Amino acid sequence: MSDENPDGGRRFRKTLVSVMAVQIVTLLLLWLLQRRYTP
Amino acid sequence: MHPLNWVIVVGWLAYVVTHGVRRSKGTKGIEGYFLANRSLPWWAVGLSVMATQLSAVTMIGTTGQGATDGMRFIQFYFGLPIAMVILGVTLVPFLHGARVYTAYEYLERRFDAKTRSLTAFLFLVSRAMSCGTIIAAPAVVFSAIFGWPVAWSVALIGVPAVLYTMVGGVQAVTWVDVKQMYLIVGALVAVVITLIVQIPVSPGEALHIAGAAGRLKVFDFSFSLTNTYTFWSGLIGGTFLMLSYFGTDQSQVQRYLAAKSVDEARTSLLISAYWKIPLQALVLLVGVLVFVFYQFQRPPLLFNPAHERRVRAAEPAVYGGLEARYAAGLTVRDTAARTVAAAHDRGDEPAAAAAMTRLRASDDSVSAVRTEALALAQRVTGQASKDVNYIIPRFVLDYLPIGLAGVFIAAVIAAAMNAISGELNSLSTTTVIDFYRRWIRSEAPDEHFLKVSRTATGLWGVFACVVATYAVNLGSLIEVVNRFGSFFYGSILGVFLLAMIARARAAGAFIGLLAGMALVGAVNFGAPSVSFLWHNVIGAVTVVVVGMVISMLPRAPERILRD
Repeated sequence: MSDENPDGGRRFRKTLVSVMAVQIVTLLLLWLLQRRYTP
Repeated sequence: MHPLNWVIVVGWLAYVVTHGVRRSKGTKGIEGYFLANRSLPWWAVGLSVMATQLSAVTMIGTTGQGATDGMRFIQFYFGLPIAMVILGVTLVPFLHGARVYTAYEYLERRFDAKTRSLTAFLFLVSRAMSCGTIIAAPAVVFSAIFGWPVAWSVALIGVPAVLYTMVGGVQAVTWVDVKQMYLIVGALVAVVITLIVQIPVSPGEALHIAGAAGRLKVFDFSFSLTNTYTFWSGLIGGTFLMLSYFGTDQSQVQRYLAAKSVDEARTSLLISAYWKIPLQALVLLVGVLVFVFYQFQRPPLLFNPAHERRVRAAEPAVYGGLEARYAAGLTVRDTAARTVAAAHDRGDEPAAAAAMTRLRASDDSVSAVRTEALALAQRVTGQASKDVNYIIPRFVLDYLPIGLAGVFIAAVIAAAMNAISGELNSLSTTTVIDFYRRWIRSEAPDEHFLKVSRTATGLWGVFACVVATYAVNLGSLIEVVNRFGSFFYGSILGVFLLAMIARARAAGAFIGLLAGMALVGAVNFGAPSVSFLWHNVIGAVTVVVVGMVISMLPRAPERILRD
């Protein structure tokens, strides 16, 4: 797009990586919560 | 409620209205009113997107669901981060780059006016009704708890929201959303801390009790078209629902159209994806901890105080019998919960396992008595009980310290205002841009359109408040409209997917949209047990398939539609 710039693109990719990392960590924590406490 | 709590609630409402109106300064034309002159930073847009979908239903209904049903509801949101990433690289660049006011305006540029008008009309019908239900849900709860007429509660929530949205437009909506998100998250964290302090066992033991009663079961990997809360429904159906909602619903699209650039727009969506699952986990955790709290404090048989009074008056003997059975079940459950905690504390696993079995059995018998009481309440009052919505408000007012209860009630009102302000702003935008300026008066000074836009916001606000006031009596009508809404959500997504396919044509989009809605309608009536999450998949896929088949045909369909 015309208003795309390298800084914005870099921020998008960086945010994308951290979003996915947060989701994976959250799902892992929820999984551990279930494993640890649900008989 | 203690007067200090009311001071906090009224003080917060005064603050948001003042803040919202102050943010309206500099709003000269409709681009400023609807899109903030495309000047908003990504983080504010991201918080605003989150705020718009976090309604009062989340604060009182979802927390209550955590108490009664546990954490499994969170699977509903598993598709959201995936949808945000897909939208960030597909639809957002299209829409933001097109410099449009509404998502539907883009459809006229790509296809034709009738596709635009039909999708915009469907949005107006469903959103206007849902706006009323968003106000009604907390208003009905407040009215039952505080003993007010519903109209007062509707006014408490609706008037401030309509006021700052009408005056300030999207600037006010976004910046008030940001402030209110801080309040909401702060209130939830404060409630979790208070619960941890008030529960008479350690957090680890509390989690063992919750787990023993099945409240910490998050994942269900079974594949079922009829069960909404499974991993696969959430991942596949949820992705399509979120693609539809964030990609084609003007109340969401308008947020990121107001961002400074395409990159800021798509980054703002990712911010929303960042926090949605952790935030929902926090919301459900509040409910789970309230469940544990009520293992050690006697909960009421019916949380809705208005229903409790009416049932007690109408059926004193039957209700008394249920209360006696409930009390006996609670005593057994209380003992079992304490035994689970003590056994875990001293590392006696066999005793803990035996106590967990007793806990589950007693929890089942307590739930069975409650089910009977809810059926009795429904029979006596003639209203669906929705008792789950009263669990958290009752806990907040009965057990939270003075001040914190006021903060929580203010946060519930804030959540409702966030949701309706975004929707009112988008209803006004669609009314003015897709109908008034498109069909009635295309040329006029900007001041004229601004005046019309503010009037439209005010009128939609009044309409939403009227719907909310009569929501109890309009129950079945609202259900029909919501059901009707689910017919076209996925189908509209299908039209936008077609828009990105170069060979798709206007006739294909329009006929595909009708076909998608018809098939979802047929599934809805023919196989009513299919979860609504799958309706979006069915609708979107049908529109794309039918739309492409029509687009591949010779030009005959265009002529038929034109004539």
